[in-house]
Amino acid sequence: MPGSGLSNGTFNAGKLSDEDSLAADSDSVVNVDDLKKTYHSYTWRGRKHVQAVRGVSLQAQRGEVFGLLGPNGAGKTTLIKMLLGVIRPSAGRATVLGQSIGSPVARSRVGYLPESLRVDRHHTARSALRYYGRLSRMDAQSIARRSDELLELVGLRGRDREPVVRFSKGMYQRLGLAQALLHNPDLLVLDEPTDGLDPVGRNEVRRVIERLRDAGKTIFLNSHILQEVELVCSRVAIMAAGQLKAIGAIDQLADQGQHRVTIDVLQTANAAAAPHSTNAAPHSTNAAPDLSPNAEPPLQLFDQQGQLIDLAGFPTLQFTRQRVAVRLAMEYESQAQIDQLVDRLRQSGCSIVGLSTAGESLEQTFMRLVGPAVGSDVSEESAVDSLGSVDGQRETQSQAIQSMAVQEAGE
Amino acid sequence: MRPYLAVVMDSFRSAFASRILWIAFLAIWLLLAALAPIGFQEVYTTRFRGEELSNGTQLKAMLARGLIDPQEEGTALGRLSAAMPGSLKKQLRTVARQNTPIQKWALADGLNRALDDESWYDQEAWQGTIRLTELKELDKLSEKQITEDQRRRRARLRIEAALPGGLIPRPSRSINLSYAGFAFPVDFPVTKKQFLVLVNQYVIPVMMDWLLGFILVFLGILVTASIIPEMLQPGSLHLLVSKPISRFGLLIAKYIGGCTFVLLCVCQLVVGLWAIAAWRLELWNPAILWCIPVAVFLFAVYFSVSLLAGLQWRSPILSIGVTCLFGGFVLVVGIFGGYFDQFVTGPEQISSMVKSADQLLVTTRGRQLRVFNDQANGWDDLFDKESVRRRDLLVRPVAISDDVFVSAKISGGQYNLYGNGTLEMLVLDRRADYKPIPLLPVPNGTRQFLVFGDQLLAMNNAGLLATPVSSVLQRIETERARLDDQGDDSESEEEAAEANSEVTDQDLQAVNQMEQLAWTQDLVGNLFRMQGGAVEEFQPILPEEIQLVEPLAATVAAGGKWLVLYSRGRLFWFGQPAPSSDQTTLELIGQLELPGSDAARTRLAASGQQVLVARADEPVRWLDLASGKLVGEIEVGSRDSVIDVSTLADKPVAENDVASSGRFAVLTSDGTLHLVERQGDALAARTLGLDDVHSIDFDSDSQRLLVAHDIDQVEIVAVASDGSLLSDRSIRATPAGWRKVDSWVMEPLRTLTPQTGELSETVAGLVSGRGSSAIERGFGDAEVRRYRIWRPVLSCGMFIVAIMSLSCFLFVRRDF
Repeated sequence: MPGSGLSNGTFNAGKLSDEDSLAADSDSVVNVDDLKKTYHSYTWRGRKHVQAVRGVSLQAQRGEVFGLLGPNGAGKTTLIKMLLGVIRPSAGRATVLGQSIGSPVARSRVGYLPESLRVDRHHTARSALRYYGRLSRMDAQSIARRSDELLELVGLRGRDREPVVRFSKGMYQRLGLAQALLHNPDLLVLDEPTDGLDPVGRNEVRRVIERLRDAGKTIFLNSHILQEVELVCSRVAIMAAGQLKAIGAIDQLADQGQHRVTIDVLQTANAAAAPHSTNAAPHSTNAAPDLSPNAEPPLQLFDQQGQLIDLAGFPTLQFTRQRVAVRLAMEYESQAQIDQLVDRLRQSGCSIVGLSTAGESLEQTFMRLVGPAVGSDVSEESAVDSLGSVDGQRETQSQAIQSMAVQEAGE
Repeated sequence: MRPYLAVVMDSFRSAFASRILWIAFLAIWLLLAALAPIGFQEVYTTRFRGEELSNGTQLKAMLARGLIDPQEEGTALGRLSAAMPGSLKKQLRTVARQNTPIQKWALADGLNRALDDESWYDQEAWQGTIRLTELKELDKLSEKQITEDQRRRRARLRIEAALPGGLIPRPSRSINLSYAGFAFPVDFPVTKKQFLVLVNQYVIPVMMDWLLGFILVFLGILVTASIIPEMLQPGSLHLLVSKPISRFGLLIAKYIGGCTFVLLCVCQLVVGLWAIAAWRLELWNPAILWCIPVAVFLFAVYFSVSLLAGLQWRSPILSIGVTCLFGGFVLVVGIFGGYFDQFVTGPEQISSMVKSADQLLVTTRGRQLRVFNDQANGWDDLFDKESVRRRDLLVRPVAISDDVFVSAKISGGQYNLYGNGTLEMLVLDRRADYKPIPLLPVPNGTRQFLVFGDQLLAMNNAGLLATPVSSVLQRIETERARLDDQGDDSESEEEAAEANSEVTDQDLQAVNQMEQLAWTQDLVGNLFRMQGGAVEEFQPILPEEIQLVEPLAATVAAGGKWLVLYSRGRLFWFGQPAPSSDQTTLELIGQLELPGSDAARTRLAASGQQVLVARADEPVRWLDLASGKLVGEIEVGSRDSVIDVSTLADKPVAENDVASSGRFAVLTSDGTLHLVERQGDALAARTLGLDDVHSIDFDSDSQRLLVAHDIDQVEIVAVASDGSLLSDRSIRATPAGWRKVDSWVMEPLRTLTPQTGELSETVAGLVSGRGSSAIERGFGDAEVRRYRIWRPVLSCGMFIVAIMSLSCFLFVRRDF
């Protein structure tokens, strides 16, 4: 809920309190505390430092699907690499399944699907699973048994004797998922698991993730596909520029953003919207004046008597002419503001044919937290992916009212 | 271990999936198929080759004498000379007057013609020659029993008997190579045993160098250079290092796995070659399989560099480039090292020593005579640098008094037994700071001086000639006086010239009065001198019935009372002629025929009446001259040839005691010094605590052993009864000039750089089971090549450990 304090734009780089840490340790599978990573490089001009992760703290609880979001260069991969022990942190501490990151015990209980899995050309799916199983210190019988199960699960049964060079990227990803699950890990780290898959493949992977979640596995998911994250993740963390911008359940993150109400008012002979005169005060103080020659002038709303309705108490209100109605849209902070607006319209005799409220989508939350500058960087990569998120705006109320009103207007 | 084995096994599978591997396999199979038809057969050694006539001067003089000396008419030599082709005979007749040069191949051709037409043979004429046992056996065969090959062999042996010493001894059997049943037109005059040794010590290391050391290593690097860069791809590396395995183990497993490519290729090639050697060449030597680990080890050196470059730059191309650069650097260091060995340290190696009073004189492999300078703690050269030539040959000096040594330098003697021109004795006198002074002519081809009683003996392949030591000393004094007076009195020179002129006139008158026969005898005398016969001062001392045939060796025994002589399988021992008698030849006391390979290089040493005979590639034999029997024989060293033997005590313990049991030092070609002694009726051998020994000698005055080792260091030691060495003096010359560069620059560089080129020596050593090889240089000398078996292994091993440690450090510490 707004103002709960769980997640907001100032959460970045926040350090967990000792109390939080202790509480988190008890049930957290991934526990990261003020983790930092600085890369050093040497050039002709001298030594260069790049701070890839700047003090990130987070926890992933047992049994949850934890999403990690962020634009390119946000430090997500660096964070995952640190969790897997691939690189060493510069500062801070972290545990995975109660073990220090990078320890053999921790790694033996983690399954990892890298972003672009490479399997040597001489392998078949089955021989690759045998190889990775041995690297995970599994015995031959277990490898054979688990291979059968997982090949079935990821849909590679029947093609398991083919050389991987004939595999499509989707098949590679499925094979990667199978190898990540082979040794029955307690924590699964998936880096872009649906990357390169067709919609059907994505759906299958999503279902696998859901089944694993239902089976009590903890999943750490790094993905660009916001819809995917929205659909399967219990909690997400958003990173940008090496800092944690927000963390929490998706609903909670959305509640931190702005809410919007949309009211459709029926246009009649008198009650209609018309361009306001030049000496009239604009209703929308926030609306930026459109100075283009062909632009439609700002609208004003008149009552049945043709009198201008005074909506000065709603400075953010915006008008849009619809086919049979005028749409009023306004960002709100409390239900009282909606009630006041509805009362004002009804007192003026306006017929309300539709009313809906909408919370912030994940993408909007993402864009809000990451910022336009960074968001523009992200947009290239995630333009297509984010379409789904736009469509997925959560309509919470009165769709039935809206449809009824449209029907009435039609009559 | 299981995960790491999985990585190694995965590399095996990866290698098998490589097309280049199968292309390499195909190339290997084609090569093996091409080599498989090679075969050989043993044939009788019959044809004469130009190389066998290393002493063309002597052979030429012999044949010429057979033509013009009336005394040789009807003898074996005369009949053989007469059977030479007309053009050759025409040249031979001019030799006595003009020393006409005749090509070796022309002489060989003439002798080969005689093989086909034996009309020159006369049984009676050949009765007086030294006939080898083999010839006697063949002579027993009737014309019906003898095969054509045996007949030609018999003809060759008859020719050799007629020309004693004129030809280098060759084994009775030669090797004839064939391909798919077709014999090559050239025979290799080596025994089967020698042939197999050649294959083991030379052919296989060469194949190792080129096939395994160059082609396969390069191919292997091409194929494996991508292993590490591919592993470092994010989608591969991150997955691998997220597994519960150590990075160190992962990298090592990848490294071992990378070597599997070469292992697969090398196994096929070496096993194939081994099978061909066994099947076609009857060389059943499992040690050939040592090539497999050595070749993989060689590849491992370069692969470690490729791996490090791959880790650093993540690029296969750069890995290959860096590895090739490294290979080039190793090659350059190896070449420079070889040059230093050949031109800096090699020529300084001491080849013989002689001590008189407190002065030590040595000869070096670089044909230099040196005397030790205590004040400078270094060796002083006695020859000017300009006069030292590698093709010359220095005769080991002997001391004829406390102040005087004698030696000789045979110009061109390295390749021609008799050298070019006449040979003069060099006197090295303390009073003249040992500067060599030519004194008097010595017999052509003299290879050894010995002091036997009051006689100075000169031995060449034709016989043993002597001059009194006192006479030599007198000549030295005269020469010194002449040199002192030189220039002081020119008048006396004119008088002398006049006197000479008078003598010449008298001689001319005499010539006019001489008959043709006398003139001919004069020419014959010339020819005798040309073929190593008597000269003015040196006269034959052997009984007429003793004719020497190479290989030869001689030593003094029984406290200086006996002379022991070895001549191609026979051992003679002589006593000095009684001073009161008129006899001028040695008294033959006994002789003994030794079994085994009589053509093998032989060394002798005597202690009292005990004599040690060491023949190449045979056990050393201990003989008791008193009984004329073989006491026993014993293998010394691990299959390495004996290159020198020395007594450890040559003076009788008590007066008239000439039957001292004796002890001997034996030097094997691997540079190890052994003690051979008699324990009851049995012989025992043990190593003495010195390595890298080049030569040994015995100083009779001090009864000490002189040991030259580590290039130019000398130990003067006594050997205690328990085999420990008691050092009297150690000579450690301070390196100077290029030797200093070698010590301070080249050797450290060679130690730090993996000497991959020397791994072929490791192969030669392992395959042959020897630490060295000794190639005969004639007259008991051998060109010794010591294999550095463990040095390259150590150097390469240390390099691999260093590079892999660095790689592991980078891989473990670096963020990927």
